[in-house]
Amino acid sequence: MIRFPQVSHLSYTWLDMKVVLACAMAAGLAACSSKEPHAPVVPTGTPAAPPSAPVLRRLTIEQYKNAVADLFGPTILVTRPLEPDLATNGLVALGSAQTSISPWGVEQYEATAYDVAEQAMGAPPVRAALGVDAHDGSVDLAATRAFAQKLARRAWRRPATEAELTALTRTGTTAAGVLGDFHDGLELVIAAVMQSPSFLFRAELGGPDKKLTAFELAERLSFFLWNSIPDDTLLAAAERGALDTDEGLRAEAARLLASPRAKAGVRAFFTDLLSLKSLDNLTKDPTIFPHYSTELGPAAREETLRDLEALVLDENGDYRDLFVREKTVVDRRLAAIYRVRAPLVEGFGEVTFTPADGRRGLLGHVSMLALNSHPVSSSATLRGRFVRETLLCETIPPPPVDVNTALPEPTGTARTLRDRVAEHLTNPTCNGCHKYMDPIGLGLESFDGIGRFRTHDHEALIDPSSALDSTAFANAWELGGVLRDHPGVPRCFIRNLFRYATGALDPLKEGDVDPLGELTARFAAHGYRVKPMLIDLIASDAFRKVEAAL
Amino acid sequence: MKINRRTLLRGVLGGAAITVGLPPLEAFFDTHGKAYAADGTVPRRFGIFYWGNGMHPERWTPANEGAGWTPSEQLMPLAALASEITVVTGMMVKTGNSVPHGSGPAGLLTGAPVLNRGTGDFSFNAPTLDQIIANEIGKETRFKSLELGMRPGPGLSFNGQDNRNPPESSPHRLFDRIFGGGFTLPGTDPIIDPKVRLRRSVLDAVMNDSAKLRERLGVRDQRRLDQHLEGVRELERRLARLEERPLTLEACRVPAEPMADYPDIEGRPQMSAINRAHADIMALALACDQTRVFSNFFTFPVNNVLFPMASAGHHQLTHDEPGDQPQVNAIVKQIMTELAYFLGALQAVEEGDGTILDHSVVLCTSDVSFPRTHSIEEYPILLAGSAAGALKKGIHYRSPSSENTSKVSLSLLRAMGLRAAEFGVGGGLTTESLGAIEA
Repeated sequence: MIRFPQVSHLSYTWLDMKVVLACAMAAGLAACSSKEPHAPVVPTGTPAAPPSAPVLRRLTIEQYKNAVADLFGPTILVTRPLEPDLATNGLVALGSAQTSISPWGVEQYEATAYDVAEQAMGAPPVRAALGVDAHDGSVDLAATRAFAQKLARRAWRRPATEAELTALTRTGTTAAGVLGDFHDGLELVIAAVMQSPSFLFRAELGGPDKKLTAFELAERLSFFLWNSIPDDTLLAAAERGALDTDEGLRAEAARLLASPRAKAGVRAFFTDLLSLKSLDNLTKDPTIFPHYSTELGPAAREETLRDLEALVLDENGDYRDLFVREKTVVDRRLAAIYRVRAPLVEGFGEVTFTPADGRRGLLGHVSMLALNSHPVSSSATLRGRFVRETLLCETIPPPPVDVNTALPEPTGTARTLRDRVAEHLTNPTCNGCHKYMDPIGLGLESFDGIGRFRTHDHEALIDPSSALDSTAFANAWELGGVLRDHPGVPRCFIRNLFRYATGALDPLKEGDVDPLGELTARFAAHGYRVKPMLIDLIASDAFRKVEAAL
Repeated sequence: MKINRRTLLRGVLGGAAITVGLPPLEAFFDTHGKAYAADGTVPRRFGIFYWGNGMHPERWTPANEGAGWTPSEQLMPLAALASEITVVTGMMVKTGNSVPHGSGPAGLLTGAPVLNRGTGDFSFNAPTLDQIIANEIGKETRFKSLELGMRPGPGLSFNGQDNRNPPESSPHRLFDRIFGGGFTLPGTDPIIDPKVRLRRSVLDAVMNDSAKLRERLGVRDQRRLDQHLEGVRELERRLARLEERPLTLEACRVPAEPMADYPDIEGRPQMSAINRAHADIMALALACDQTRVFSNFFTFPVNNVLFPMASAGHHQLTHDEPGDQPQVNAIVKQIMTELAYFLGALQAVEEGDGTILDHSVVLCTSDVSFPRTHSIEEYPILLAGSAAGALKKGIHYRSPSSENTSKVSLSLLRAMGLRAAEFGVGGGLTTESLGAIEA
């Protein structure tokens, strides 16, 4: 018997729901595609977007490391493993607002805190930077308190309360007394600050007026744009009320975006969105893919991130061009896979693809092609699912159970993946969902499981022509263009930005209206340039306010 | 005098005896330090050995039922341990099958349906068996529970919704965690270090600090913060324990130090070497009573690991390999070979009147039965060891009626001394354990 997933047991948000139902009932996507927002374009002012529920977010591993570097300088390293980040609904940014720390995670935080503290107090330049190098080593209440006050303000992204400060100072002076040295006492202060929930969690909870407090807003802003704690300038702006006004907040957002540190923010967002961390554990069979090595995954990630940095920050370009960019950067590993000239010097160099190369844009990157494949072969389904779920924000439910999910082996007459997945597209059990995934992936069949261009699969000619929804394309080059003009792409990008910024799955809004519609329209008005869009999102209520769940 | 150990342990766990001014732990030992208590009981241990992507029921199920089961093709690697293992077949997870590879373990280990988190992510809704048991028997040992696995990943040991205990995947880090700083060998002096006391006071301060934050949180986030603080409390207890005199345990010794790293070779993990290092560390961690509960995630659900000799990743093969899937079959047999090594390591350590394995029960299971269809009927369940005589061993119980796997879970809770009246919710609920496997 065939059983479809029980939709009532699944938890999806309203934006996904129509697709889920359509897919589960094997209905057509066209029948339920969301209306395009036709909000009037407002070039200035702050777009309306509703707030979301307040959430407590764990620092991600990267944020923790960045914070340590900001607090103690680049020579102090986090060398021990920390509790792994966990994604929910595809984003670590959401998982960080859902998951808890395990007892072992607490143990790891403790060990790292003492390790960092010992490194910091053992390094005279770091002590000097923290203003405590010149000291005779005796117990010193005033100096301990001043140190604790300064460190806590930065690490906790807010001033410590008097009670907190008293406790930290007591920790430091007691330890200095027991251990016999001022700096040993400060190690305990550092360890206490770093194990506090005020460091490990982001509590962006809002005040009675539902607005984030100034310090909460500063914290949300710096984690969003820098993936780290605020600098002193931002904390000072928060303290003097500069973030309370639209102009003041926009000015700080613009300052952060103009800083070289915005690169870390752009990288963190796309690493999360595109699951680029998984490239650390890329598994490929080297007998089938001689170009595979353990360094390939990180190199492929670097290509994608550099390309995104260039598009979003350096060029301030149209986000949709991500799918049709003909230039990219390669190192010699990637050049071998792309069959282009390797850079003359060690590292990355720019190359430009032509239609003869068969590829352009993000979907032609080794990172995307290799990640969304199997260890020994390509996968039209995984690649199509990636486009649907990550780039178009449509949800594909898990496959039904008690269904034979086998793909036929290549035979004399059915050698290419297209021939073999034909079952997915004709069998009514499979086709309800696979018709949304496989046709997209078949357009990428010109790339094998590691992303190398090919014209034949099992000695049969590959036909990469297919369609995305109802728009036909001849090959992967054209698929990039179709995706660029797909109305779902900017809408989905805005939703992912919202989720990433707030840690909330969706804004609080009931009904059949896209709550992020106005932001999406503004994105269009900005010519799909990301930087001005980020500032508009930051200025909107979606970013500045929280509201308890309805 | 012959005392029913199960009654005794239940009495101890259920009653006040355990908290009545716990005497120095040596009091539990006889004068020769050979056993844990005057009547010869040693602590019971609970373990999970987990692998991803199921098995082939028709090659798995032994032909004969009852005592003296004859190893089937896929269980052949366990033949030498057959008298120590009870095979349970024909059972079914009754909590629905909405998430392939997620619904099965959620049903068996929590008795509740899985929670779909979209894009392939899921959470369980309730604590898993290992944590339910660890909450009862894990507070006396240095680690409430230990989780380990072949690969980095989140694992399936849940303290509750969205709260996992991620496994350690590096043998060397596992070794360091258990036998590195903070481990005291029997017969040596406890660690009295002023810095440890200072660390404890920092943890106290962390807990105090959290109260103000907690007040501002919603119910869900309060629960998440509480789970964090529970970890802080557990760490505080562990530090306090450093000052106690180590137990006198004749079988306790430090295992051989594993290699610093086990890099993949040609894209394939060194599964056997890692498993064997893990097994030797865990056997001695139990012998040294560092924990009484563990979960060993040999592989995860949906893993696409390239097994030795396999032409594709495991998960891909389960779906794509045609015919009777000789490669998938070979992979299941490799996993059973590694399981045999793991159980053999527990059996090799003698303590009290038997071996570690005698005093343990290890639930060996997966996320599906037949992986190609994501079936959760004919669920794979092996129980190794008898939990010190609480369970029968060496039998094959075949359910005549696709009984609820929760019955096995309830039997396990009771075998571990928990006074559980029921297990599971909704379709997973049972008030009746599986009597046929209980001693």
